[in-house]
Amino acid sequence: MQPFALNYARPAAELEIAAVYVYDSGLQLNVLRDGRIAASDHALLRELGTTTSTAGSKTHFDD
Amino acid sequence: MTVLILTNEEDVTADMVVVHLNAAGVPVVRLDPADLTGDVALSGEYAHGTFHGHLSSGGRLVTLSGLRSVWVRRPGGAAARAAAPSPWLAEESGQALYGMLRASDLRWMNHPDAARRARYKPWQLRLAQRCGLPVPATLITTFPQAAREFAARHPDLVVKPVSGAHPQDPPRAVPTSRVAPDADFSAVAFGPTLLQRRVVKRADIRLTAVGGELLAARKPAGADAEVDVRFARSDSPWRPVEVEARVAEGVHAYLRRAGLAYGAFDFAEDTDGTWWFLECNQSGQFGFVEVDTGQPIARSIAEWLATPVPGRPAPSGDTDATMV
Repeated sequence: MQPFALNYARPAAELEIAAVYVYDSGLQLNVLRDGRIAASDHALLRELGTTTSTAGSKTHFDD
Repeated sequence: MTVLILTNEEDVTADMVVVHLNAAGVPVVRLDPADLTGDVALSGEYAHGTFHGHLSSGGRLVTLSGLRSVWVRRPGGAAARAAAPSPWLAEESGQALYGMLRASDLRWMNHPDAARRARYKPWQLRLAQRCGLPVPATLITTFPQAAREFAARHPDLVVKPVSGAHPQDPPRAVPTSRVAPDADFSAVAFGPTLLQRRVVKRADIRLTAVGGELLAARKPAGADAEVDVRFARSDSPWRPVEVEARVAEGVHAYLRRAGLAYGAFDFAEDTDGTWWFLECNQSGQFGFVEVDTGQPIARSIAEWLATPVPGRPAPSGDTDATMV
């Protein structure tokens, strides 16, 4: 009884990013532990993949 | 006047835009509707033929008349983190917040009505056709026999979710996948199935549209068998690419008819160089493209959001967000 498309499903990968940066409500930005703004560190964003189009999001499917 | 951003705290892609708004001196209030009725509060009064509303979040207070635009990025469900969340409270909170915002004279990226409609991929495919964008032969069906006949006409097929959503119990991803030549289509009867002729692609294209501005990036297809670029292993970065006039015309028509201020279009470039429309994500990610290409997508979004509302009075000092 499984729909056809689910024959092609695979486990979703979840990003673990909580320890890398934290939201600063005063700045309205996420900051790194050293106080730098996370969004300004493009090398880090590329490494983390947090701005990437990914499948399997729990809350959003507008990738 | 203030830009309102509805998104979650972890949305570092939104941060890329906030940075530009800050640099331009444009006031920003960022909040997650999930934090209603905790850190986020609202009030609106209708009296004597007028309406006055306020929002507060993180110590910032802004009048609704002081907003110039709303960016609906990655908001949580209304009141999802309330002390006593419930479907009823979520509905009440969503109606109050979005209802008052809808009642205000704002620029939306994107308007909720346009966004909701734009999420329907079957609707997207038809609109793309009408706008002159090439669409691969596609079948959406629950008839196994229709699937078999389609597969006979198009032996090289992919399957993908109709909605783009992914099952959560347990969490799984359903990437665009090649259909095996000897596939048994009986299970098509158990759920609407989207089958599409596979485009033999030499590259993936992500075209990010911000207002009337089109920023396209190209990524050469990897050597592996993965169809879905989100899962493909590739060391090739995204690179800027020019948009042909005919494609640009189709994309502009699509945005206009869809009522979208922002759209992230996915195309597959075939061996002849034709861009085949796959989908348009009305809130698609853009950070990964900007990081690779250096294209000023975040700045373009910030500039669009910062544009004054036509016909609204010039900003005055009392319409910006204030700390409370």
